[in-house]
Amino acid sequence: MFMTARYGGWVGRVLRVDLSTGRITTEDTVEKYKDYIGGTGIGYKVLWDEVPADTKVFDPENKIIFATGPLAGTSAPCNGRTAVTTLWPTCWPRHLVGTGHMGGHFAAEMKYAGFDAIIIEGRADHPVWLRVADGKAVIMDARGVWGQGIRRTTYEISRQMGPEAVVAAIGQSGENLVPMSVIMNSVSHSAGGGAVMGSKNLKAIGVLGAGSIHIAGDKEEWEKAVKYHLSLFGANNQAVVPNSPQPWAEHYNPATRWVASEGRQWGSANPPIDTGPCDPHNLNRIAYRSNSAAFFLGEQGWRHTVRGNGCTGCPIRCHTIIKVPAVAAKYGIPETGQNKCSGLVFGKSFFRSFPDGLMGQTSIEACMVGMHLADDLGVWNNYGQLQRDFQKCYYEGIFESKVGEKDFRSYSWDKFEKGDPAFLFELLPRIAAKEGDLATALGLGTGYMLEAWGIAETDWKSDHNLHYWKLGHPKHHSNEDAGQTGVIINTQYNRDAQCHSHTNFTRNGLPIEVQKKLAADLWGSPDAVDTPGAFTPMNVYKARMAKWSLLRKELHDSISLCNWMGPWSSSPLRERGYRGDDTIESLLYSLVTGDKKSRQELDEAAERIFVLHRALTIRGMGTKQMRTKHDTIPDWVYGDDKDRVPFTKGTIQMDKIDIQNAMLMFYEEAGWDKETGSPTRETYRRLGLADVAGELGKKGLLA
Amino acid sequence: MKSPIDTGGIAGQILSIIAPGRPLSRRKVLKLCGATAAGMASWSFFGPGAAGSVPIIITEQSHGLVIGDPTRCVACRRCELACTDFNDGKSSPATSRIKVRRNINFGPTGLYTGQQTQGDWGTGLIVQDFCKQCPHPVPCADACPNAAIEVKPPVNARVIDPEKCTGCKICLKACPWEMISFDPETTKATKCFLCNGRPKCVEACPAEALTYVSWVDLTGKVPPRITPTLNKPYACGDCHK
Repeated sequence: MFMTARYGGWVGRVLRVDLSTGRITTEDTVEKYKDYIGGTGIGYKVLWDEVPADTKVFDPENKIIFATGPLAGTSAPCNGRTAVTTLWPTCWPRHLVGTGHMGGHFAAEMKYAGFDAIIIEGRADHPVWLRVADGKAVIMDARGVWGQGIRRTTYEISRQMGPEAVVAAIGQSGENLVPMSVIMNSVSHSAGGGAVMGSKNLKAIGVLGAGSIHIAGDKEEWEKAVKYHLSLFGANNQAVVPNSPQPWAEHYNPATRWVASEGRQWGSANPPIDTGPCDPHNLNRIAYRSNSAAFFLGEQGWRHTVRGNGCTGCPIRCHTIIKVPAVAAKYGIPETGQNKCSGLVFGKSFFRSFPDGLMGQTSIEACMVGMHLADDLGVWNNYGQLQRDFQKCYYEGIFESKVGEKDFRSYSWDKFEKGDPAFLFELLPRIAAKEGDLATALGLGTGYMLEAWGIAETDWKSDHNLHYWKLGHPKHHSNEDAGQTGVIINTQYNRDAQCHSHTNFTRNGLPIEVQKKLAADLWGSPDAVDTPGAFTPMNVYKARMAKWSLLRKELHDSISLCNWMGPWSSSPLRERGYRGDDTIESLLYSLVTGDKKSRQELDEAAERIFVLHRALTIRGMGTKQMRTKHDTIPDWVYGDDKDRVPFTKGTIQMDKIDIQNAMLMFYEEAGWDKETGSPTRETYRRLGLADVAGELGKKGLLA
Repeated sequence: MKSPIDTGGIAGQILSIIAPGRPLSRRKVLKLCGATAAGMASWSFFGPGAAGSVPIIITEQSHGLVIGDPTRCVACRRCELACTDFNDGKSSPATSRIKVRRNINFGPTGLYTGQQTQGDWGTGLIVQDFCKQCPHPVPCADACPNAAIEVKPPVNARVIDPEKCTGCKICLKACPWEMISFDPETTKATKCFLCNGRPKCVEACPAEALTYVSWVDLTGKVPPRITPTLNKPYACGDCHK
């Protein structure tokens, strides 16, 4: 009997599959992982307890953990993400802990199948896939699908399991241990770590279940809480202000992702559907507020939109399905495609220009070809770094000087320069197949590519246009969105930061005066936020906001709320003074699980998870000198192409001394040693991580 | 989920005579009604149930039904989740009374349809399946050997009485649209009861893809582009034009 019966939310069991021995076991989620909630919490805990510090990414001893939290699969909005935690294949120069956050329908279906998480360990001696259905797991032979793309694999497994199954699969890229590989489910929802699955000979995991998730609290209370939460929703990335004037709106801001308006239509729906004014009080129109195709591709995006799509239970459809009939005959690919953000423009962003301009028909065809190839081969773009690296290496002659002439000449560079999307058919399959020097190097990820070619990382760190940060990865919502707060956040992870707590506030579209009022409530002073591009020197409130942002990210990745939408620190409701509610996580968590936890208590659990990530990083690097060796900041942050001075209007550049000060303030807020940037023994103890401190202490890694 | 009917029971034997190994279609049920119209009492061979041996023949129209617009559906499944979260206190798409999950990946016709595939892996079109609140004949109610499916106020929805339901799953097979689910936790069948007139699925849809509309009897109307054929069982002519 599982202890979870006392709680709702969790389905109660974690599945553990050892591919080396074929042994399949289960453990009690609550008994073993409750203090870590779920998601990344479970992932970090497993890595800490079970994967030794010197493990290499493709060793059988590395583990990959697919984990959800108590809200996944319920009616709580935005609950679709599965946290995928493992040693990160593109983390340079050594493979440290990393997580990917895969949306789609996998998280929910895994829970309906009876499991909160799946831990994969060992290595199968031949290609296998894992069938998880109604509480039972079976290791299946995958030799029939090995070598196939993600689409074909999904179809084959769905034939065997049934059309309702959700399949998370790798493509040829992951099979071939290309570090820049993804795991993909529900057409377009990916997480990195595809090569780790490949190294284990694991082609896919199919989940299917008729089970249910119990809501511990009163169902009417639950309904009320969910509706209240929805009432605070903005558009994608919690933009609470529309991007054009609307009859109901006090403000508008052209930069936000709230793009709906009368006359703006899902143009390729049959019949076309008008998105309309979308008054925020009308919860039956939330899905029309956002449109990634329109946000990233402009007018042509609207014309080609079929509908919004996305994860289980999420009213914000941030993946957009677009239909471009011309590509079927021209490139032999399906006429519909779907994705968002850098995945949507995966193909387009390789090119510097197109024959009919950057917003013309060819550019959208490049998007279609890119999505089709990348999401089938399972190639990762490292948040656009792949494409930026590609352009730099080509236009600065790096490819030509570093790869063999025969390999270089084997590409149709004239097609590339002309902006012909067909070029992608030459490039992407070769990355997935590790074919030739050029493609193989790109598939390594930036850090290992530079190392292979003897290029200093500092060259990348000083280039403004590359957005490269450190450890092989780029920035993800940094100083351009939130000044010092953004910089601090971008120092903390071993891949791009994946944190949106800060940008979902600073880019919510509200006038700065309103933001400042809300910031005072949230972080103690209006000075916590500035207008992006008109920053002021560091203060302690920004450090508080940085810590809060990081903790909320880990909280969301553990209870299964989407940090691309949360936290709900503001709302579109004028009558609330645009206030959001930062206790919403605690309300939902308490009702669904029956484990009543206040905002502070949940924040503490989040801090435990975040600090465990820090401890994993310290142990993995074998040094406690985090401030100087890990939390580094690229030079481009301190430069400005127009020689403007920091803290003047129009520049996002930061000041070096001020940022040093910012890091110290953050360490202080976090309870970390200011000299090293490592958590103190007292901080570990406060968070219930005394044993972690003990192990680090023995290794001389404690501040 | 489809569940095999208990073919050992008398009801199962009868159903397998009518449609061996296959679910009953609406058309077959109509035919069945015709065939047995000479004496509705012949339905009583389902055996003496506690609630009376004669099944309930429902002739009252439901006040309304939920309908879906597939073009607007964004596949978020908030309708399915609202149905069971707010009615049953659990998230359970398998027992939801509106069904979207089964059509999300490949559409209602499954994955053998090549270019015609719907759903996320095909054209993107998501078809929502919902209970039609059938007018007479009501296949699920007619098939229930325990007369557990009744018309209930306030909106005349066809509702399962859990006290009478024995979990035999015959109604699952009888519904031509496979809209009835078996809940393994309660061991009862469950179907749409229109949330007594305020359907939670409709309330939950973030894309205005669902509406609650009144039931309009269009049986006497011939669609403009269809050649009318006389395919109604003779015995129905008493009530239907």
